[in-house]
Amino acid sequence: MRHLYSFLHTIIYIIPLCLTSCIDAEDYDDDPMGNFEALWRIIDEQYCFLDYKAEEYGLDWDEVYDRYSQDIVSGMTDKDLFNVFDRMLAELRDGHVNLYTGFDVARYWDWYEDYPKNFSDSIQRIYLGKDYHIASGMKYKVLDDNVGYVYYESFSDAVGNGNLSDMLQELAICKGLIIDVRNNSGGQLTNASRIAARFTNEKVLTGYILHKTGPGHSDFSEPYPIYLEPSNSVRWQKPVCVLTNRSAYSATNDFVNSMNQLPNVTLVGDKTGGGSGLPFSSELPNGWSIRFSASPMLDPQMNQLEFGIEPDVKVDMTSADMQRGKDTIIERARQILAEKALQ
Amino acid sequence: MKRYLLLLAGVFALLSPAIAQEDSLRANRFVMRSTLYGVGYTRVLDTYLSPQEYTGIEGRFLHERMRMTTLLDGRVSTQSMIQANVAYTENRSGTGNEISGLVNWTYGLHYHFRVTDRLRILAGALGDANLGFIYNTRNSNNPAQAKAYLNLTASAMAIYKFRIKELPFTVRYQVNVPFMGVMFSPNYQQSYYEIFTLGNHHGVVNFTSVHNQPSMRQLLTLDIPVSRTTLRIGYMGDFQQSKVNDIRCHTYSHAFMIGFVKNFYLIKRKDKLQHRLPF
Repeated sequence: MRHLYSFLHTIIYIIPLCLTSCIDAEDYDDDPMGNFEALWRIIDEQYCFLDYKAEEYGLDWDEVYDRYSQDIVSGMTDKDLFNVFDRMLAELRDGHVNLYTGFDVARYWDWYEDYPKNFSDSIQRIYLGKDYHIASGMKYKVLDDNVGYVYYESFSDAVGNGNLSDMLQELAICKGLIIDVRNNSGGQLTNASRIAARFTNEKVLTGYILHKTGPGHSDFSEPYPIYLEPSNSVRWQKPVCVLTNRSAYSATNDFVNSMNQLPNVTLVGDKTGGGSGLPFSSELPNGWSIRFSASPMLDPQMNQLEFGIEPDVKVDMTSADMQRGKDTIIERARQILAEKALQ
Repeated sequence: MKRYLLLLAGVFALLSPAIAQEDSLRANRFVMRSTLYGVGYTRVLDTYLSPQEYTGIEGRFLHERMRMTTLLDGRVSTQSMIQANVAYTENRSGTGNEISGLVNWTYGLHYHFRVTDRLRILAGALGDANLGFIYNTRNSNNPAQAKAYLNLTASAMAIYKFRIKELPFTVRYQVNVPFMGVMFSPNYQQSYYEIFTLGNHHGVVNFTSVHNQPSMRQLLTLDIPVSRTTLRIGYMGDFQQSKVNDIRCHTYSHAFMIGFVKNFYLIKRKDKLQHRLPF
């Protein structure tokens, strides 16, 4: 029996160990310091803007480790640990960085909370009225001055080619089109390119994407060009205004960048919120889930778009207009489209 | 009498090549098929999805076909093996789950060394194709990882036959170790959106060998005669590892397998032999 046991033990454990060396990830303890080390390491090796943000505002991730590791004590509560992590991650100034726990979500929202809202859904309701149409996630109608108005609230709302064709045919009589993506905090990039493809007649370079190739802060691939291909269905040929505010983020930022490369398009409103890093997920030993920017996208001149895109025409909503039930940004866009129609 | 003996000798001489030929045919027409089902324990790591190891249960299926050939004086056999496994695993804190699966097909040749009447050692090489996935139920833009790799695999086997109370038993041990191949892997932080929607395939197909894919599969079985059939029980150890594009992966599986073996003999030109069949 002992021989049989030795034989089985050799087969099950010894031979595999001899023939294969273990490939494993670094193991951290599930205690406050272990979780802190794991979180700091994930950002250190996988977050894609450490070099860029070091240049922009002096982010030093090693210094962040030194500063926040002093706040970690054994036996601290989960909520205290979360608060330290929340403050540490806020150093990245990135809306795509979140830590998810059962009791709270760490987030950085200063990119829109510190700026004018520049959007009012109650005023927008005045413009839309009750007789607007809905094509998948897009609400649209023809305004009094024969301008088409489209509001797209989330790029997570699937938009099909059929929806776009039907909507554009309905608005074909209009002299110009307003696409309002204010307060659109993003979603799927494929929706962004599908919509933008209706506004170009030729293949256009809209930017580049990179990915990290290793754990070093500067380990990046060669920029890979992203082209916008024209749709082979109904395409809009008249002037377009895209309305933006600080809450236009992530996939919306990408859509605004694509539209910004097209000659018939004018960006009106406030700077977008940014968020040009494609987010990935990971997790800590205690099970908390972390989301972070992993893969940056650039404009055609290879500029970072992480902190937003400036509009062509900067307009803020004024309190005087709001009191009159007017949306200053929509009104400015209608004016621009009227001028372009005359040209 | 002498005439009868000469006649018998003549008939024997005429029949001998036929009998010898029939003997050699018998060997390569002998086919062993087995189908096994198993359950086991698995540990899954893929740092593209998470730096945490997930552990849980797996179900496994294995179908095997072995047949002798006429190559090298009938000392070479072919083996075709298809196996599939599906696992449901959990991280150590119990807050996340992964579902993974892999289909593996191997086909190749073994040379038989007849050490004794009871013991055979087999050595050979296999082509080894693998296709699978790992799905993390709570990730955002990196929710899943595709597994696709091809290998040339060294294979060794020992087959030992013995009897207990005149009943024939067989113990078999096989180990397969890939020594070179190609593997699909996204780059370190590359999204599937970039690979498949934008079309950046650079660096996603990689050469592998023991330095970056030290893996092995091993199977230990015991064949037990039960009435007119043969029951096979066994242990499957499946250790798949890779470190490609700085993404670390491993799947360590231990499974208990059980099923049946069918041994049968292929008959060519059955129509001509029809009259010799007993039924």
